[in-house]
Amino acid sequence: MVAIADSVPKPTARFRFILDRRDVFGSLMVAPAILYVLLLVGVPLLMAVYYSLSAYTIYNPSWRFVGLSNFIDIVNNPVFRQTLYNTFIFTFGSQILGLVLGKFGALLLLRPFPGRKLVRALIILPWAVPIALATVAWEWMFDSLYSVINWTLIALGIVTRSNAPNWLGTPHLAMLCVIVVNAWRFFPFAIVIFLAGITAIPQDVLDAATIDGAGFWRRNYQIIMPMILPIVAVGLIFGFVFTFTDLSIVFLMTMGGPVGATSVLGFAGFQTGINSGDVSHGAAISLFMLPVLLVVVVAMLRFIRRREI
Amino acid sequence: MESGGNNPKRPVTRRNFLKTSGLAAGAAGLAPMLSAPFVSRALADNKSLSIVQWSHFVPAYDTWFDKFAKDWGEKNKIAVTVDHIPVQNVPARAAAEASAGSGHDLFGFNGAGGAHLYRKFFVDVSDLVKETEKKYGAVTIIGKQLGYNADDGTWSAFPDFYINFPGLYRKSLWDEIGMKPDTWDNLRIGGAKLKAKGNPVGISLGHSNDPSTTWRGLLWSYGASVQDEAGKNIVLDSKEAVEAVKYVAALYKEAMTSDVLSWNDSSNNQYIDSGVGSYIVNPISAYRTAQTLNKTLADDIFVIEPPKGPAKQMMGAGSEFYGIWKFAKNKETAIEFLKYYIDNWPEAFKASEGYNNPCFANLVPKPMPILSNDPTSNPHDKLSILQDSDKWSAIPGYPGPATPAMDEIYYAFIINDMMAKTATDQLSAADSVKWAAQQCEIIMKKWAGKA
Repeated sequence: MVAIADSVPKPTARFRFILDRRDVFGSLMVAPAILYVLLLVGVPLLMAVYYSLSAYTIYNPSWRFVGLSNFIDIVNNPVFRQTLYNTFIFTFGSQILGLVLGKFGALLLLRPFPGRKLVRALIILPWAVPIALATVAWEWMFDSLYSVINWTLIALGIVTRSNAPNWLGTPHLAMLCVIVVNAWRFFPFAIVIFLAGITAIPQDVLDAATIDGAGFWRRNYQIIMPMILPIVAVGLIFGFVFTFTDLSIVFLMTMGGPVGATSVLGFAGFQTGINSGDVSHGAAISLFMLPVLLVVVVAMLRFIRRREI
Repeated sequence: MESGGNNPKRPVTRRNFLKTSGLAAGAAGLAPMLSAPFVSRALADNKSLSIVQWSHFVPAYDTWFDKFAKDWGEKNKIAVTVDHIPVQNVPARAAAEASAGSGHDLFGFNGAGGAHLYRKFFVDVSDLVKETEKKYGAVTIIGKQLGYNADDGTWSAFPDFYINFPGLYRKSLWDEIGMKPDTWDNLRIGGAKLKAKGNPVGISLGHSNDPSTTWRGLLWSYGASVQDEAGKNIVLDSKEAVEAVKYVAALYKEAMTSDVLSWNDSSNNQYIDSGVGSYIVNPISAYRTAQTLNKTLADDIFVIEPPKGPAKQMMGAGSEFYGIWKFAKNKETAIEFLKYYIDNWPEAFKASEGYNNPCFANLVPKPMPILSNDPTSNPHDKLSILQDSDKWSAIPGYPGPATPAMDEIYYAFIINDMMAKTATDQLSAADSVKWAAQQCEIIMKKWAGKA
């Protein structure tokens, strides 16, 4: 009698069986993303938190724990308090301006007109252009010697050379300039968010409101806005967090001047932590708003969840 | 049956064995001799040197340096790589390399306090500095400020060069009013007259390097300074500093326009090169640019020593040094390269068009090339006063060392803001000095005992 050998399961078969399990396969697929977030976002964030609680400087890379003393140091400095105030103005100013421009832009782009597709594509440009290039262009427009804005105003007879605005040399105007540039960068994103939200509203809802006598403003504020609020809130979270932590526009355009009028947390943290080598205080400045941002983001996410239709 | 068909194996006989083993032994014996040149070449090829430094304001210098380093590498069978990075990226790059414990072998650092900040990361180059002093004379004040550690007598960096900040003025305009901007007072009085004619003085009050450098020079000229000679105490809050701030407010109101509040480092260059500005304080790059843009204007731009103050004649300067990381893989090679570089420093000086100035007394013997006789300038000796710029140049921290605290005060633009606050009537001169002194104290206290 011929003995038939038992078939030995191949290792690949077992591996294949494991991959057939939906939960295992799903975890495997999502693992790289989780690993990426943990290693490149989570670990640096935790390190930054620890830096802010330590005595770490480049001169003396000591991990000695000093508690909240770095935070107490910076809060006691009036220059830091001015920087914090500037950051709030910069963030809220550019978000409000960006949202208003975004809303109007979206409403305009919803109307049919020749070349609408091209305009929709072009409107994304400010968001897609590298911020360094865009800011240099804006810097030239606000330049004290060669401002094209001032040339235009002078040509139109609105101002003279002697009383032309010194855009980046006057504290309030300089803040307005960095807000405008950031809003200009943010508004295409806001347009996309508004367009996505508005086009998702069922047309019959708007038609019914119109038949019931609702005008443009009533439709806008009592139907459209409440319905798109969750998606707008998501956009706002992005804009809020990115602007609060941004240093690029200030770094490239004003270096925090004039007289510290446009210095924001990201810029001050970079100057102290990287340029000056005081990593612990730099981290404390950069992370100062982390708890507030966390609360705001969590509150907004909860709001969005409750408002989801 | 033998297998192999066309390649039959021969039986192992004593004759065959001796023949084969003899050939093998011979080949083994000859191999080292035959391969020696190739092996040594291959080993040498493994040697390398990596250098990182800023992208120089004079692009021709980078071209010269890259070729110089490459040629040295080829001559010594060393693979040399030179990376150039924008000047504003230098501190971040240094921090990244130090934190990672890996990077380039030789780090060209543009700035003042870096050698002291990174002291624990840099190799002591005392022997190299001593050797250079023996060959090329004593190290200058700036050189010492840059790299010398007074507490233990070590050098954490090799001082490469400094960038002087003379006055650049429109001679025809100043001749018209019969004045010369040779003192701070003359600059204010003459500047006011020229502003009335449409040619103001242009010294920035913004957040950038030029005003940080210039206003420190003014403070020193008035007998004030941020710290004492030992680098231990802040001494800014003084009547000399108050007088200096009052002067800047008067200069701003009488001889300048509000444009200067927003200026970056290129604005004053553009101001004089546009034909509007009558005087700026800047390295000669502004003049060099004018030579390429408008020869007539360039001929009218003259170079003058910085204005004299009531106490002395001093001006801030930029600086550059080389540090060798302790974690560098090719420390000895880096030192060898630096020795060769120093011996050829006059060539570097010429390549920089006189922009890089020596940190050792006789590194470029006088009369210095280009500065003593510049064929592109009219007159040819227009730049000759720069040969002695080491007498009136210093870097942040003067009269003390360029410490990390001094660097942080520099990067926080405290001195610039002290001047601007009074110039724009935000604070009185005395209050502005008090505010700045308080800010400096905070930083000094923070670094005390740490560096």
